[in-house]
Amino acid sequence: MRIIVHNAKCQGHARCWAQAPDIFKLDDDGYILPGDIQVAEGEQLLASQGARSCPERALEVDRTSAARFEPAAMQPRTGEA
Amino acid sequence: MAINPVPDHVPPEMVRDFSLFTSPGMPPTPNGDPHAAVACAHDGPPIFYSPYNTQDGRGTWVITRAADQRKVLQDTETFSSHRSIFSSILGETWPTIPLELDPPAHGAFRSLLSPLLSPKRVTALEPAVRERAIALIDRITASATSCDVMKDFAFPFTVSIFLRFLGLPDQGLDTFVGWAKDLLHGDDVERPVAARKIVAFIDELATNRRKDPVDDLMTFIVQAQIEGRRLTDGEIRGIGVLVFVAGLDTVAAAIGFDLAYLARNLKDQELLRSEPARILLATEELLRAYPPIQLIRVATKDIDFEGAPIRKGDYVSCATMIANRDPEEFESPNTVDLAREHNRHAAFGYGPHRCLGSHLARREIVIGLEEWLARIPTFRIKEGTAPITCGGHVFGIENLILDWS
Repeated sequence: MRIIVHNAKCQGHARCWAQAPDIFKLDDDGYILPGDIQVAEGEQLLASQGARSCPERALEVDRTSAARFEPAAMQPRTGEA
Repeated sequence: MAINPVPDHVPPEMVRDFSLFTSPGMPPTPNGDPHAAVACAHDGPPIFYSPYNTQDGRGTWVITRAADQRKVLQDTETFSSHRSIFSSILGETWPTIPLELDPPAHGAFRSLLSPLLSPKRVTALEPAVRERAIALIDRITASATSCDVMKDFAFPFTVSIFLRFLGLPDQGLDTFVGWAKDLLHGDDVERPVAARKIVAFIDELATNRRKDPVDDLMTFIVQAQIEGRRLTDGEIRGIGVLVFVAGLDTVAAAIGFDLAYLARNLKDQELLRSEPARILLATEELLRAYPPIQLIRVATKDIDFEGAPIRKGDYVSCATMIANRDPEEFESPNTVDLAREHNRHAAFGYGPHRCLGSHLARREIVIGLEEWLARIPTFRIKEGTAPITCGGHVFGIENLILDWS
């Protein structure tokens, strides 16, 4: 899962940060840092709750397969020795 | 008060008999629920025209849907924030800053002030806020099993935090609260008198801090630079007046409405008392259900907005308490659900003018509720008393007598 950050829409409500400060990082004024956020397995619910509490709708949850975060260690092992 | 005639461009079928000032439940009402009363706006069309909807009796368009309010408040080019709400009381037109400046001028002032009220900065203020809440509540419980929450807790708590932020001594508290009350809820004679006193006070404070700087907000403002220059006297006044007025009444009103809700809903009260970790999320729901303010914008050009023929100069009202009861945005909007998630409420507005003090305001509410519930046993509205609520530009509650005997 990936969170698409629409920086221009962020108005510093910091509702995402209040729910998940480790996922949503703010600058010194309290606005979200630029750049989309790759969400690790296990943090998806928290990230989605944070994104869905943005009053400005500045955070978009992207669940398409291209956005799936799959660290190498978690990929299915094949039968190779 | 004179009521402006409905402008010719407003189709008669779009005019509704609705007003945040005069509709049922808006004038001072014992045991009133003005937030529930305005939720009836959703029974009609999503946008309509109210012939009497500002403190000085002007008509406004009323935007009821959260999605439309978001559009209006995010589009500062079409919907300007410069409408001199404070200075017009004095027959003047200067803006309060940064609220009544539009981008791009708005940005420099906002950037100047944002760090002072950022989430990080507010976290640092938290111990002092908590200490103040505890001191006030301990003083109440030492001698009584009942109190007037507004007079004994909500106002002294929020206003003293705010006075400390401004750099002002606590002994001015009653005077300042009196000015705010006259300014927000007074008549045509009281309002200009209060406005003049506030301006004179801010001007004098600026002069004093220029002469003898200390570590406070006004000193910061008189010493600050934007775009390589010092601020003008008018800009300093515009900032000082805004910060002063914005902090005096709103948070106290929110705490009052929240404690009144908990006094009447003992199951929710007990839930938060026994599981204080829920207070953080519950505060967002109480902010959704009981926000105190309406936001007003003025159209800079003719625009047909979602079927409404808005013309240049028209006032557009985005009442947070109406957006927060929008059934298209919130499931069962008239039910208070303290565990509500995905709560994109509009209590602090949308767009670049999002309440600058929002982080401090919500910390004060959270801490106020935490300490109140931790120290006061089951409380109810005192028998034989009835809190008086009112609508208007800022919704309020007074005479909230709680009893825990």
